[in-house]
Order: sequence, then structure tokens, then C-alpha cells
Amino acid sequence: MRTMVLAETQKALAELCAGVSQISQQVEAVIIGDQLKAVTDTVWHIPAQENALLEDYTETIAALIKQEKPELVIVEPTKRYKLIAGRIAAMLGTSVITDVLALGEDLIAKRMVYGGAAIRTEKVASGCTIAMVGSGIWETKSVTEVAVREEKPVQFIEPVNRVTRIARDEKEKAAVDLPGAKIVVGVGRGIAEQKDLEMIKQLAYAVKGEIGCTRPIAEAEKWMPKETYLGVSGLMIAPEIYIAIGISGQIQHTVGINRSKIVISINKEKNAPIFKQSDYGIVGDLYKVVPALIKHFG
Amino acid sequence: MSDEGFDVIVVGAGLAGTVAAYLLGREGLQVLLIERGNYPGSKNMTGGRIYSHSLEKIMPGFAKEAPIERKITREKVFMMTEKSCIGLDFQSSLLGIPGSDSYSVLRGVFDQWLAEKAEEAGVEIITGICVDDLIIRDGKVCGVIAGTDQIEAQVTILADGVNSLLAQKAGLRQEFRPDHVAVGVKELIELPAELIQERFQCNETEGTACMFAGFPSDGRVGGGFLYTNKKSISLGVVCTLSELTKGQKTVPQLMEDFKAHPAVAPLIKGGRLLEYSGHLVPEGGLSMVPGLIGNGVLVAGDAAGFCVNLGYAVRGMDFAVASGECAARAVIEANKGGDYSESGLQIYRKYLDESFVLQDMKLYCKFPHFLETTPRIFSDYPELLEGIVTDMFVMDGQPSKALLKTMMKHTKKVGLLKIAGDALKGARSV
Amino acid sequence: MNIITCFKVVPEEQDIVIKTDGELSFDRAKPTISAYDLNAVEAGAQLREVCSGALIALSVGTGSIDGPKLKKNILSRGPESLAMVADDRLKDLDTHQTAKVLKAAIEKIGEYDLILCGEGSSDLYAQQVGTQLGQVLNIPTINSVSKITPSNGKIVVQRTLENEVETLEITLPALVAVTTDINLPRIATMNHILAAGKKPATVWTLEDVGAPELSSTIEVIDTRAPRQVERKQDIVEGDTDDAIREFISKISAVLAK
Repeated sequence: MRTMVLAETQKALAELCAGVSQISQQVEAVIIGDQLKAVTDTVWHIPAQENALLEDYTETIAALIKQEKPELVIVEPTKRYKLIAGRIAAMLGTSVITDVLALGEDLIAKRMVYGGAAIRTEKVASGCTIAMVGSGIWETKSVTEVAVREEKPVQFIEPVNRVTRIARDEKEKAAVDLPGAKIVVGVGRGIAEQKDLEMIKQLAYAVKGEIGCTRPIAEAEKWMPKETYLGVSGLMIAPEIYIAIGISGQIQHTVGINRSKIVISINKEKNAPIFKQSDYGIVGDLYKVVPALIKHFG
Repeated sequence: MSDEGFDVIVVGAGLAGTVAAYLLGREGLQVLLIERGNYPGSKNMTGGRIYSHSLEKIMPGFAKEAPIERKITREKVFMMTEKSCIGLDFQSSLLGIPGSDSYSVLRGVFDQWLAEKAEEAGVEIITGICVDDLIIRDGKVCGVIAGTDQIEAQVTILADGVNSLLAQKAGLRQEFRPDHVAVGVKELIELPAELIQERFQCNETEGTACMFAGFPSDGRVGGGFLYTNKKSISLGVVCTLSELTKGQKTVPQLMEDFKAHPAVAPLIKGGRLLEYSGHLVPEGGLSMVPGLIGNGVLVAGDAAGFCVNLGYAVRGMDFAVASGECAARAVIEANKGGDYSESGLQIYRKYLDESFVLQDMKLYCKFPHFLETTPRIFSDYPELLEGIVTDMFVMDGQPSKALLKTMMKHTKKVGLLKIAGDALKGARSV
Repeated sequence: MNIITCFKVVPEEQDIVIKTDGELSFDRAKPTISAYDLNAVEAGAQLREVCSGALIALSVGTGSIDGPKLKKNILSRGPESLAMVADDRLKDLDTHQTAKVLKAAIEKIGEYDLILCGEGSSDLYAQQVGTQLGQVLNIPTINSVSKITPSNGKIVVQRTLENEVETLEITLPALVAVTTDINLPRIATMNHILAAGKKPATVWTLEDVGAPELSSTIEVIDTRAPRQVERKQDIVEGDTDDAIREFISKISAVLAK
């Protein structure tokens, strides 16, 4: 089976190429210009265009796929590529399978639906499978840069509809890499005030973990950056240890963390759903328990 | 201000409001029914059971179509102590005669059905909107205010529940007194229908209502209840608000202890908690009934305090339905003469007086006070009964004593005179 | 600016019941408007407040979307009118099919300057119908938009990406998919709800919009609740000093690794 890989970041390109090679013998990266380094033997090279947005290469990539007819196209799930993949699917008369949790050699994919309540198993009815796969779905060591054996040039095709970029501002990047962290501490609505996050920071430091949160903390309260919220429409992580503090355990959050090896939780409600999803826990006031933890582990 | 005018605005899509709206809509009047919950019934709660007679009058045969749960054909009333449960078990086909029967209901479902009937009768229903205030001009209620919006009507019916702030704004009532309301909490516990039928020995359309006094409210004024629904049990406790503050236990604690009681636990074993809810219940009887009529305004249902709790029978829904009907009839009469003033609407009072609504409220007006001033009912009497009955049934091998003597032993602990006095007072109040 | 805002009718998520065998039951889940589409409608309503033109709400689905409460709900949020393609043949559409039906309906509506969509539907969240629709209409299409400003017959949008925020100028007609950051959907007032009942709502069958070709592009094999990961559930009750000590000793062993 032949796979083409589209990615915006080097990390994803490496991860996806290595991962998909478990189910596909022929893996070819599609690289624009020289932004990314090759990690596959065969690379499809699209010459970089001046002042082009990534979206301007949509027609070019679509034509390549139409021409080469790979069975599978794996795409990094960035916002830009969600747009590009959607448009390509429309051009090819198919639909993209997004947020894939598992994908086998039979090209049957699994993904979460209904806010995490269910897993849907599906495949394309015919033609090319375009699947968007996030980090950590395939467990594999990253492949490093390789010497390219075959670089195939791709003819650039002018986009039909262009938009004009007027400005571009870098966002304050969350310095955290939650998906890569071994230990993650999550905070939820049990935290009464923003300043109490200081205590959580101290705990995270003491156990050498990173901090994530539930959606209300990021979106409603805005006490933590959007990039740190864990859950069905946020980050999905699988750390060694996840410590849930003041989190009730609603399914929209737990689907983001229930691949953790060990889940530890602190909540004052005996019947909080999180306890059924935890290996260890304590029914108590976090304002009492956390300082004790900081004292012990600090 | 909206250019919409309505003939009638009804605030609250509970039983009183929806029935009033339905009857007025059927009569051809332009009716707006405003409910603050997301759907009619979402903010309502009953133990509970509806005595069908008043709704049967308005919608004959409603039970065949409405989403009722089970027809109640078995009544149980108990006195309960920590260790015991002693009571009356009445099972009879006389309980299930159409027109005088009763049904367990779940309000979320039932109220929505009733609201659909009102919509079919031409009533405009808005949900998710809380009416904050009334438009009052020259001493007359001319409509309602919600947020920045106002809507006018010739007459407004306030059916907005036990804690009617609008009735206060209309100058018809004061803030409720803590001895006039009770706090009720309920758990809806899922059980398969077959299991319910086995445990309560009934068929699939029938069921049981149980009332418990004493232990459920920790010896204070109140009680426990259990009703069988199709696939669930409604289980809960009620305690008068002013009494709660005197006691040691919180309401959740009362609920936990009641559930764990050896007479209750086996009935709900294996059940799954579906829903937990709480509500205020009018308990003050006639003395809490506020002014019911003003210029352009009527008060009905729980907002008018129309509830009677006799311990063995709890009635609120049938009163709500009947008072909604009286309100609708009054508005129809007032509409004929175009007079929605207090005097024009006075006929509402007449209709209530003629019906069981005010007659029963008057009959039982002493009962709430009797309960409040006779705490023995909830503590000493259950224990007294426990003592007598235990001596009757337990054979410990000691030489027996005369029955009368053992009874006297227990009654003397409370005091014969007190018991007699309570019995007299109690008999007079029902 | 004539705006069409697309919305999806989904089952009320909290009323979806997971049966013992893992299958889902939608019996109690009433049809409701997908939450993220409320942001799109609100964006349309806010744009209408500063530009003249029409705001039409559009949805496609089975006959169940043609419900009076649902129609009142969407119309109380700003649109002047509502169009629907309600046809039981439109059951379980994939994103490509949805885009084609929406396109057919939009072509029937006729003129438009801007099409607004949510970033994804709250039930299946494929995040594609907007982007696919823009492509099949062959108009400039942008997703992840957190601000829209009209500007001399075009629009200027702020697009929030992973590491940057870009400002783009887009010629009309165009399609924009908005994020939840863009606004807070209004709570309809009493008068809005009353007025909604009087606004025009057109309901079409598939034939009315030209019966577009609709073969499936996705084959759904199964949808069921995942098996719960077995957890130890070793929970200490209470936060006395002893309880906390017990808790700490349990997790120390784990954290030490």
C-alpha cells in the first residue's frame, strides 16, 4: 500500500512517516520548498512560491493525489491542514476521516464522536483514504533525517481563489509540551480562584510534571491558555501519570486523559465520576491535600 | 414595548398555569404562557402522585393519553423509628375507579404533554424566559417584564410557584415564612419494571404509594415518601423549613439515612440513581393563602399556597389544576363584561369557594398548626407504637403480661392525658 | 451584505443513553442546534447590525429538523428567515454529502455574499462541512476565524492558528468557518422569541433543490461506547492527617518510578 504524508511541522512529519510505515510499505512525504527535512526515501517536492500561504498549494496537492492515486494520505491535524484536507476531499469527491485514534492496514479507522461518549469505526467507501492523525497514535520511535533516494518534482498549480494576508503575529507559544510530558497535573473547577494556581504550580514542580486543565478553566475562566486544555476538543494525552485536582471527571475531559498509565485524583465529592476512572484517589479538600503533597514531594 | 398584545398572560407552565392557559386558549382568547425553565416541567417536582378528578373534569379520559406512570391501587402509611416500621396497608380495587383514581407521575414528562395540549388549543408558549416584574399602571397589572422586554395583557395569571415573587410584587403576598414551607428532596431510582412489580406485588400498570412519618424527618415535622413509577421509584423526604434549623441532620443526611432504613433499603436495592432534585412545598395551609385577586391579576396553584398535606395524603396537583380552572373561568366571565378590575375578577373567589379547593383548605386549616405544635407525632408516637407492637409480637420466654398492662406501660411514658388531648386536637383538625 | 449561516441539527448530547451492550440510544435525545453553530449565527447577526442585507439561516437533514421549537430557536437569534432541506433520505450524511446538499440549497436561495459555518458539529466534529462547502461552491474559504470585519465590500478576518494569528483580507463571496472565540451567542429575549414565530421558514424536499447526486463517501461500520479502562479505584476517603498520609504513601510508590 502506498501512503503520502502531509505535515506542517518537522516533528509531525517524522512521527507520521514512522508511524504509518507500520501499515504501509511505501511512504512518501510531500514537502513544500525546503521548510521541512525529508524523512522518507521518496519525497514529492513542491517548489515554494513567493508570498504563498500554505493554503495556496491546495490545488497542487490535490492534483498530485489525483494523478498518483495513493491508497492513503496521512495529514497532520493543524488548522491549516484541516482546511486544505477538507478542500482536497471536496475536489476528489470524498470525505476526510479526522482525529483518528487508530488506523489499521485494512484502512478502517476509529475516532471519537458524541463528545467522547462513543467510538466510531469507519472507512472510506471508495478511492483514496485521507486521514488526519495526531501525535501519539502510533507508538514508534521517530525517524531522523535520511538521505533522499528519489526526489520527485511536482508542478505547481495556481490556486483559483486566493486570500491576501495583511498581517501575521506570532502567538505567545505555550512553552509546555503536554503530549510529551511524562507526568501531567490537571486542574478543574475545584480551584476557586486564579491565584490558587500558584499552589498547583508548586505541586507540578515538586513532582516534575506539566500542568493542564479542563475546558472551563481555559475557555470560561481563561485562567490558563487554550492550548493546555485536555479533553475531547482539546489535547489528548497519554502520560505515565495524570493527577486530576478538583476535576469532577466529565467524559469530555476524561477521554483526553484516560490513556494515561496511572490516574490519581483529588476531589471532595465522594460520588465524582473521576474516581471510577482513577487508580488512586482521595476524597478530600484539595486545599488541604495539595499543600501536604507539596510538603512531602518538594 | 412590544406591539403584541395578548388577552391573557399566564406566568408559569406548571399544572395551574397550563390548565388555565389551555381553557382560555380553547375559548378563543389570545394567551401567552411564559415558563422560566427550558421546557415545561423542568423546574417542577412532585413526590409524587396526582389525584385525577380535577384534570378528568377538564380532559375526560386523559389518563389513556397522558404520560402517567402507574395507577395507584395500594396505599401504605407508616410510623417509622430507627429500628421499626409500623403501618397500614390498604390494597383495594376501590382505589382505581376512573374519576377518583390517582397516578404516579414524573413532572418533566407530564407537564410537557400538558403544555402540548395547551399549544394545540392555540396558546403561545415561551420557555427559558424568567418574568422579573409586572407592569403596574394606576394600580392595575397591565402585563409582564422580562429583562428589557415588556408585554401587555388585559389580565395576568400568576402561577409561578411556591416562592412567587410576582405575587409579592403585585402586593398580594409577603415573603413566605419558614414554618409555611417545607423542603422536599427526591431521588429517582431506576429499577426494571418486573422487579418493581415483584417487590410491590402489582401488575405493570398499577403501583403503590407509601408515606412514612417519624424517622425520615428525624422526629421533626415532615416525612418520607415512596411512589412506584413504571421503571423507577420516587423516594424522598420532606421537612418543614423552620424545623430543619432546629434539627441536627442536613437534608442530604436525612435522605441517606432514610434510604438505608431496613424497611426501605430492600425496596430500592440494585437501583441506579437517575436524578436528584429538591423543591419547596407549601405547608402552611389556609393561613399562607395570600391575596388571590387584584386589578388585572389572579394567583393560582402553589403560588396561592393551594396544598394540603395530611400525612396519609398529599395533595397539590389536583388543587393546582382546579384553581387553574377557576382562574380561567373567572377570566372568561370578566372578559364578557370587559372588566378585569379586582371587582370584575372577584368571581374567581366564588368559584374557589364553591369547589373543593377552598372548602378543603378551610376544612384542614388547623392541621398544619396541629402538626407543628404536636411534635410527639413524629417522635414519641412512633416510639410508643413501636413499644406496644414489639411487646405484642416478641416472645422472650418470660411469663406474659396482660395486653392492657403492656399498653399502659408505654402510654404512661408519653402521658395518657397528652395522648387524649392530641387525639382530640388531631380529630378536630381533619 | 447578504449572509447565509449554516447550522446542523444534532441530538441533545446529554440525553444520549449508552445501553448495556455499548450501543447508543437516541430515543430521549431531542433535536437541538449544534452548539458551535450558535457562534456562526451570532456572527451573522452581529454583522447584520453593521451592514444592510439579509441573514438567512440554513440547515439540511431528515424530517426531524422541521420542528416548530427548533425553528423558533434559530429564528430568535437574529436571522430574518430560515430555509431547510428536510428529507428523510438525508439520514446520516457524511460531510461530502452534506456539502453537496447545502450547495444545492444555497444555489436555490440565489444571491449571497458570505456563508458562515461553525468549526465543526458538536456531535461528530469532523470539522469539514464548511471547508468542503466552500470548495464545491468554488469561493475563497477560510477556517478558524475569530473575528470578522466588513471592509469596503470585502471582509478582513482574524484567523487564530496554533502559533500565530494572521489577518487576512478576503474578497466576497466567501465562506468563513468561525471558532467559539469569536463571540458569545445571545440569549434570546421574550420579544425575540415571540417575533421568531412570525418569520418566514421555507422547507424544501430534495427534489425542490434539484436532487443532487448523493452517494456515500464514508462507510460507517460501528458506533459504540468504548470499553472502560479498568482502573484500580483505590480511593482513600476523608482528608484527615492519617488519610492524607495513607494517600501519599500509596502514590509515592507510583511517583517514584
